[in-house]
Amino acid sequence: MGIGGRLKSWIGDQRVEQLRDRLAELAEQSTEHHLRLAVTGLSQSGKTVFITSLVHHLLHAHRSGSLPFFDVAAGGRIIGSRDLSAQSSNPFPLQQALTGLGQEPPHWPASTRQLSEVRLAIRYRRPPGLRRVLGESATLYLDIIDYPGEWLLDLPMLELGFEQWCENQRRLFEREPRLSVASSWLARVREVDWHASADPALLQELSESFAKLLQVLRSDPYALSLLQPGRCLLPGELVQLFPLVLPTWPAGEIPDGSFLALLKARYERYREQVVRPFYLQHFSRFDRQLVLVDCLKTLNRGEACFTDMQRALNGILQSFNYGRNGFLRRLFKPRIDRVLFASTKADHVTANQHHNLDRFLELMIQDAQRDMGFEGIETRCMAIASLRSTQAAEAQVDGQTLSCLRGWRKDSDEEVALFPGEVPTELPSADDWTQERFRFIDFAPRRLPQHELQPSHHIRLDQLLEYMTGDQFR
Amino acid sequence: MSEPDKFRKPVWLDPKQLDTSRPVMPPESQAREFPLQQVREALDDGETADADHAPARKRRGGWRRLFGISLGAVLVSGVGIELYRLLDWSFTTHPLLGGGVSLMLLLLALSGGVQLWRSVKGLRQLSQIERIEADARALLQHQGQGGAGALLRELQRHYRDTPEQQRLDETIRLLDSAYNDSEIVRYLSHHALSDQDARARRCVQRYAVESGVLVALSPWASFDMLLVGWRNLRMLREVASIYGVAPGASVQWVLLKRVLHNLAFAGFSEMAIDAGSAALGSSLTATLSARAGQGLGAGLFTARTGLQAQRLCRPLPLEQVDQSLIKSVAKGIVERLGQSKPAE
Repeated sequence: MGIGGRLKSWIGDQRVEQLRDRLAELAEQSTEHHLRLAVTGLSQSGKTVFITSLVHHLLHAHRSGSLPFFDVAAGGRIIGSRDLSAQSSNPFPLQQALTGLGQEPPHWPASTRQLSEVRLAIRYRRPPGLRRVLGESATLYLDIIDYPGEWLLDLPMLELGFEQWCENQRRLFEREPRLSVASSWLARVREVDWHASADPALLQELSESFAKLLQVLRSDPYALSLLQPGRCLLPGELVQLFPLVLPTWPAGEIPDGSFLALLKARYERYREQVVRPFYLQHFSRFDRQLVLVDCLKTLNRGEACFTDMQRALNGILQSFNYGRNGFLRRLFKPRIDRVLFASTKADHVTANQHHNLDRFLELMIQDAQRDMGFEGIETRCMAIASLRSTQAAEAQVDGQTLSCLRGWRKDSDEEVALFPGEVPTELPSADDWTQERFRFIDFAPRRLPQHELQPSHHIRLDQLLEYMTGDQFR
Repeated sequence: MSEPDKFRKPVWLDPKQLDTSRPVMPPESQAREFPLQQVREALDDGETADADHAPARKRRGGWRRLFGISLGAVLVSGVGIELYRLLDWSFTTHPLLGGGVSLMLLLLALSGGVQLWRSVKGLRQLSQIERIEADARALLQHQGQGGAGALLRELQRHYRDTPEQQRLDETIRLLDSAYNDSEIVRYLSHHALSDQDARARRCVQRYAVESGVLVALSPWASFDMLLVGWRNLRMLREVASIYGVAPGASVQWVLLKRVLHNLAFAGFSEMAIDAGSAALGSSLTATLSARAGQGLGAGLFTARTGLQAQRLCRPLPLEQVDQSLIKSVAKGIVERLGQSKPAE
């Protein structure tokens, strides 16, 4: 007689069964795990659409077959997923975004103003193997946050004092197009005596004009990215803070109550009370990072836009990498062990350009990628589209077949067909950034159905999932 | 435009004139509109694949070949003359006997012809598979688009008029227009062949466990070799037919040769796996008798043979070595032996 039989004879069959169930439950609880996915991206890089689409596909992964390269879904091992966002104090507006994308005509979600959280519980069957001993099925909790991309711009400020920040900004404002756009504001700032006692009205005026200046720099035709403080860019949030862009830093002691002292105090307060809590609460505990980059925007706009976005991204990722006091670094290195750089809107170029898009993205993030490689972190570039808004088509032009895109324009909502140009694999020379060469227009989304999702609703979302989370399901 | 060749300009088109009847996979036509650079790359790949191939072909020495030919000629002429004399003798003895003998000879020729045709077909299919796999390997390294059309056509030709055809066609239909070449190969490998993989795996496992148990229980040591050989040959046939290769004696023979060759020159990864399975085996066999240990060894050998055969017969490269199969074979043998113990 085995041990099981003996136990049963001692304490009765039912008890043993109960005990066994309880033990299995305990084992399961101890093995469920959490994965925090950092979705990083500047504003308008497609974070909200990405999260919406990802969650939508995952919620239907148990039967839709829309993720053929996501092993656990393709192998039919997902039992079901549940959206637990409602537990959070500010849940991600999934339904709202899905309704917008599912109605006729569909529209993109509005740009994000608030931080919101998604929590997804994915229940899956374990593959055959040793871990099956721990239980037939397990649960993975996937946490993602959505936030305005502008907030991210402030992260590099964490390691800069006011004087250093102003120095950085001064260097930025020495270059075009900032120099010419900001000329009147710069002249105004240079007139002020910073050692004099603070004049609230002047301060207010300068802050407001600086916020306006940032808005101008952000919009077309400049479309710059590295605009600090990021919260100045959001409507309704007037941060009374601006850098002192002076040819020379005002010498001497800083008298109490002077302009300089006030600005400095405001900078410290902004950094400590706004940026740091955001960082500590939401950005210091990630396992995997996804960096979304809109490369096409830079190709349309020119070299200044490219270098500015490059600088912004590298700055942000550096602040993940090497935090002051080592604490950011300590938190970063052991936790984020895999980073994926994704160029979004891959559906806005023809499919044969996806590889070039990867290469172009590598150009943009090469510094950050090198640093991460040095830290021993796995990185990869991928061209994705969270929601495919165009259709591949072919046309006969001058006797040869040309693959092109067919979709609806975002601004005028008319149907167009377009070959948008080739994505370069190295940085084009200054004369090459022309309308003649790149014409990546924005498309309106195609309808995303509530059910019956297809692989054709996205591009490489499944491979992204496999890369970011695949090892968790083994 | 100072340099008109460097890039292709964006073009606006009339949506109504588009050809969207074929939205997915217009591979060959897309390939042609790539800039020169890409085209050259694809050619490079093809060349390297061929270059890899060339040394594999064996070149026999002239004397050896002459010996083979002359031996064949002598045998054929000898048999031919003997047959002729047989016919002649039977007809002179009695016309009925002559009729009977000629009928038998006719049957022999017919069945021999069918056999020959089958084995030639099988060999052709095997070399086709080899070619497809080489292409697929080249494509896996290739990041561009539009090179997979030829591969798809070859695959479809290979599976024409087989039960797997429908599944393959369905998978090809579902291919996304955005996939690049390596993604297409991976997608097909995952989704079109998963059924066959599972069947081949079951088949290999069954034969491996069977031969392991047979060896462990066989009372005569000299039978073991025969047993293992017999089960292995049967398994090779079955694996080949699962992947759509017409099974015949020549296919079996060629497969066996290649499998043994691969096993003999196994790479480091497989050595590691074997070491792992050996360790596993020793911990398991510590509780078993020496004969059971032999059985386990035979079973593992059969499993490795089966995996090699699967790799050779599969038209697309196998992504990873299936380690769990070897483990489950070992477990299966031990379990079966445990069950059979009370019967002994």
